[in-house]
Amino acid sequence: MSLFTLGIARGLLGQVLGMVIGMLLTCVVRILLGWEAWAAEPAWTVGAVCSIIGFLLGVGSLDDWLKWTRGIPTPLHHGPPVDKPAWTRYFSVDYNHKVIGVQYTVWGILLLMVGGTVAMIFRTELARSGLQFLGLDLYNSFIGMHGMIMIFAILLGVGGMANYLVPLMIGADDMAFPRLNALGFWFNVPGSILLLLSLFIGGWDAGWTAYPPLSARGPIGYQLFFLGVFAIGLSSIVGSLNLLVTLLRMRPEGMSLFRMPIFCWAVFATSLIQLTATQLIGTSFLMVSVQRAIGMGFFDPRGILGEVSPMVGGGDPVLFQHLFWFYSHPAVYIFVLPGLGIVSELLPVFSRKPLFGYKWIALSSMAIAIVGFLVWGHHMFVSGYNDILRIPFMYATLLVAIPTGVKFFSWLGTIWGGKVHFDTPMLFVLGAISVFLIGGLTGPILATVPTDFPLHDSYFVVGHFHATMFGGFVFPFFAALYYWFPKVTGRMYNETLGKIHFFIMTPAFWVQTLGQMGVGVMGMRRRIADYDPTLGAGQIENWQMAVTIAGFAIAFGVMLMLWNFFQSAEVGAAAGDNPWRSRSPEWQIPSPVPEHSFPAPLHVVGEPYDYGLADAGYVTTASTGDD
Amino acid sequence: MAKNRRHFGIATVLIVICTFVVYWVLDSVLLKPAAAVLEAGPIDYLFDLHIWLIAFLFALVAVFMCYALIVFRSRGDEGDGEHIHGNGTLEIIWTVVPCFVVVYFAWISTTMLIDLSRPNPDEYVVNAEGRQWSWLFTYPDSGAVTADLVLPVDTPIRMDLTSDDVLHNFWVPEFRVKQDSVPGMVTHVRFTPTVIGEYVLRCAELCGTNHSGMLATVRVVSEEDFQLWQSEQLAQAQE
Repeated sequence: MSLFTLGIARGLLGQVLGMVIGMLLTCVVRILLGWEAWAAEPAWTVGAVCSIIGFLLGVGSLDDWLKWTRGIPTPLHHGPPVDKPAWTRYFSVDYNHKVIGVQYTVWGILLLMVGGTVAMIFRTELARSGLQFLGLDLYNSFIGMHGMIMIFAILLGVGGMANYLVPLMIGADDMAFPRLNALGFWFNVPGSILLLLSLFIGGWDAGWTAYPPLSARGPIGYQLFFLGVFAIGLSSIVGSLNLLVTLLRMRPEGMSLFRMPIFCWAVFATSLIQLTATQLIGTSFLMVSVQRAIGMGFFDPRGILGEVSPMVGGGDPVLFQHLFWFYSHPAVYIFVLPGLGIVSELLPVFSRKPLFGYKWIALSSMAIAIVGFLVWGHHMFVSGYNDILRIPFMYATLLVAIPTGVKFFSWLGTIWGGKVHFDTPMLFVLGAISVFLIGGLTGPILATVPTDFPLHDSYFVVGHFHATMFGGFVFPFFAALYYWFPKVTGRMYNETLGKIHFFIMTPAFWVQTLGQMGVGVMGMRRRIADYDPTLGAGQIENWQMAVTIAGFAIAFGVMLMLWNFFQSAEVGAAAGDNPWRSRSPEWQIPSPVPEHSFPAPLHVVGEPYDYGLADAGYVTTASTGDD
Repeated sequence: MAKNRRHFGIATVLIVICTFVVYWVLDSVLLKPAAAVLEAGPIDYLFDLHIWLIAFLFALVAVFMCYALIVFRSRGDEGDGEHIHGNGTLEIIWTVVPCFVVVYFAWISTTMLIDLSRPNPDEYVVNAEGRQWSWLFTYPDSGAVTADLVLPVDTPIRMDLTSDDVLHNFWVPEFRVKQDSVPGMVTHVRFTPTVIGEYVLRCAELCGTNHSGMLATVRVVSEEDFQLWQSEQLAQAQE
């Protein structure tokens, strides 16, 4: 079997060829214009655009559509490829949502490891003051790299959970648009490769937020970064469109919106944000890219004349921040709403009790999604925009606390009076609540402008958002991995190792996030390669050391989990169809799930979370009609 | 029900204790820099109020969660919990009560913010221009130009900030307030230094390679020393 039977290998070849063709194209145009043939910035930019197209053509995710343009029929093929080993489908274009879900998840975990490794490198640097082994520019590139890789990883993790689970939870055979679904995943691969490649052509030193004018002047790495993000953004848009249509059009008979498993509500709210806000980060990054490549003055009033960016001045840097945060604040809810959905989904199963206030939890996700669109200005309290704007943005931001509070209290109501089982997924759910609580409670102090002054752009913010990201995504994502691992593989993970992972990672994370907040209160700025050792009455180095050690403990825990999964996929005990005694549709079918998930269309006959009510069904595949 | 009432009684006591413990821990662990401006008073007061709120809400959720996990743990049986779908009254209470808390915090912050940013007719103006990776201070009344900032004590100061290249941020941790300096526009930050001493101005907006090293010394001196310093600066400039 040749390597190129794997779609991903063809795609990578296509990406390289695309890059070369794009660069040659640029050179030819420049020669025709009578300019010097080679200019790095436009060559890499056009090359990167072509490389994304090259990858998609190579991997084959555009094949069916291209055939349609020539009138060639393309029947949907089900099951593994006919003349290749079954595992190859995970490395090629496949239209089954379960395969795509696994592809998303695995690619997400890989990026999580890359982003984590980057973090470990600069955390080691920060353990002591002074510069030990990283240079200033490399440090600055690494912090942005860590941020953006993790955002990619989170989006992929969210995509993985949503793609795998949503059709199973609503009893659909697949997503509404399987080909679009595959395209949505494959955008991520060239996108993340461009992002990683950017480190090798100069990096980019303005953090993941890439504020101009700095980002309009830095190394060429920025162009690959911008276009990588653009590709991931396209993935978000087509993926969320697909999920919305699936959720609205493919539910079975009897499944009203308020009878969906609660995770579907979280995905619905998330997809609404993704479909409508992602364009803004795409636009803002594309504008900086164009400013750099052809000198349009969007965001750099002073301008510079030089080799890197031969442009005249023009535009307004604060405008960029508005465009950027109009996506990037709602993006936070894209990251956490599915995770909070996982918490709401798993709590009833392990508490053996109905979800407390289903409608309130469902609508609180929608409320967060909607209010989330009105709060972007809190990232700009000290940006220099009109002073009076701070006040409405402060009110709007504090309002987010209310639907978030509803979730917390409803979770407590779910546990109260239950019969709680402490399996690893449940432990991670409880860890998520504890960590998200820390993240949530440190929000209002940043939302009220006077207290934001000393904390803005300090390490306190770093601690705050790591707590929201870990509580809202990482812990629930790990809970989901442990919980659905038996459904995906048909085997049980090692419970002891899972518990060890939890008991290492959770206290370590508490130390890490509280340590970060502590050094921020002392007066340490964020995004600095070196800090003043006299801060906090000379205590800061001890705190930094504690944060670094905690970071390594988390990394160790994650490796333990991955090892657990690798081992258990081979030697784990057979899990059975429904080891958690869940009522959700995906647990009523065999593990691993067969190619066609449900043997017959589902009928919904009851409420999703009727634990504690004898003989109350939720779904049945038995025909209830008179056919 | 009677059983639930006893549970709530115990939990309430634990919440009260836990609130004070958490507040005490946070208060002793969080090492704020010394306060050196008038504005630090209200800001630190609001900060303290937030710490109380954090301590209480943390206690509320953590105590109920841990209590429920212990009392309602499964004791090895395969049975289910109570079949309760929710409680509309409770949901309304924990939606409406936080609304009032939130509006209260927003309201006191609003009045405080208006006070903090109100122009003072007697304010002394210093221009500051950020550049990669240093500051340039200009004193409009004397024309002095310096790389370090010298300010008279007990005088309301208005810094007029701008930037020569990329975004920077004016932040002295002891002064609490913070403001971006943006190329192409002038932004303001107001404060009144109250403690004579030497501080460090730290750029708090990522501005490229040497962002971490973009520091400047800030000296707050007595009114007489300030006049003396200004005349020295002028004499130097004339030489």
